[in-house]
Amino acid sequence: MSNQETLGKKPLQILEKIRENLEKLNEKMEIMIELQKHGRRDLPTIPQEAPLDVMTLLSMPDHLRKTAMTVCRLGRATADEVAQQTRRARAVESAYLNQLVIMGYLKKERKGRKAYFYVDKESQG
Amino acid sequence: MKALGKIVAIHSYKGGTGKTLLSINLAVTLAKHGKTVCLLDLDFRAPSLATLLHVDKVEYWLNDYLNGVCEIDKVLIDLSERIGNQGKFFVGLANPSVEAIRDMSSKDRKWEMRALGRLLSLRNSLLNDKGFDYIVFDTSPGLQYSSINAIVSADFVIVASTLDNSDVEGTRRMLRDLYDLFEKKTEIVLNKILYDDSLRSGKEKLQALVKDTYEVPLLGVIPCFCDISRAEGKIIFVHEKPEHPFTRILDEIAAKIDKM
Repeated sequence: MSNQETLGKKPLQILEKIRENLEKLNEKMEIMIELQKHGRRDLPTIPQEAPLDVMTLLSMPDHLRKTAMTVCRLGRATADEVAQQTRRARAVESAYLNQLVIMGYLKKERKGRKAYFYVDKESQG
Repeated sequence: MKALGKIVAIHSYKGGTGKTLLSINLAVTLAKHGKTVCLLDLDFRAPSLATLLHVDKVEYWLNDYLNGVCEIDKVLIDLSERIGNQGKFFVGLANPSVEAIRDMSSKDRKWEMRALGRLLSLRNSLLNDKGFDYIVFDTSPGLQYSSINAIVSADFVIVASTLDNSDVEGTRRMLRDLYDLFEKKTEIVLNKILYDDSLRSGKEKLQALVKDTYEVPLLGVIPCFCDISRAEGKIIFVHEKPEHPFTRILDEIAAKIDKM
């Protein structure tokens, strides 16, 4: 492989890394905005993993229930896929999904550029 | 491409509103219309389909499927020949032993969460892979885990109600405080309505009453038939009495559901 080719790839990799980091930062900011919007500083301390059963779904605020139910139905989904079902903006769904992860109801797994959200049924009890 | 099937749950606020009668006869009517139908008994507190359908030898119950002991195909029993092989009619039964009822009523939230996951996955295993046209859930009355799991998993819910005051008020509250939150497509079947000559003209009045009280559409009205009480739950009514008005009403309800 020529030196030029190796040199050509590096800047691309760096840019890709920067883009990934920016995306992560963006997600974190979305969560912070969302938490402030709903005045959730007083979020009850929920254990790290909480079962997402129907009674929990019932007691959730409307905006989160819609997102949580969509993940239940799809089994495993990206913010994009959830947004298609709920007809809300991707960024909004991303914020709600991350909030559900913080609350312990959903798990998040990154695969390449995509982040998948799912209900963890196996590791619990 | 084949249209995907539907999951229909039958629920009510109070017991004794005719959920099981409606479930069996609706499932059989859909099968008689040529559909492939699976009727599942999700009333784990008071299982009745095993008795009503006279099924003696059951290897696996729905309880086993929800417990993760087996897959759904082990649970399904083919009863198509009972209805003259017009369509396909399968059932999945709840275990009626006292021990099983006790076991099912002492499950924790994590178990209920997994049970919801297993009910939701029936859409893939039965509707998409096995090509079923309908899954009909018979549920327990009121607000309990197994029923709400069924409602959440269904595409469409039929709520059976009588005109008894406590039933009307409870059903109204349940629709507002539970169904609205899940944004579930729901319609009402009024059952045990006193049959008289005015029923035909009174249907519009009942329709308005349902719309005003429950704020959901009226799917059907079933009069109080002594013939049904007389049958003592020993026959599949729509199969044995094809000319009976009850059978005609079920035909209409099934046709409406099929058009949705």
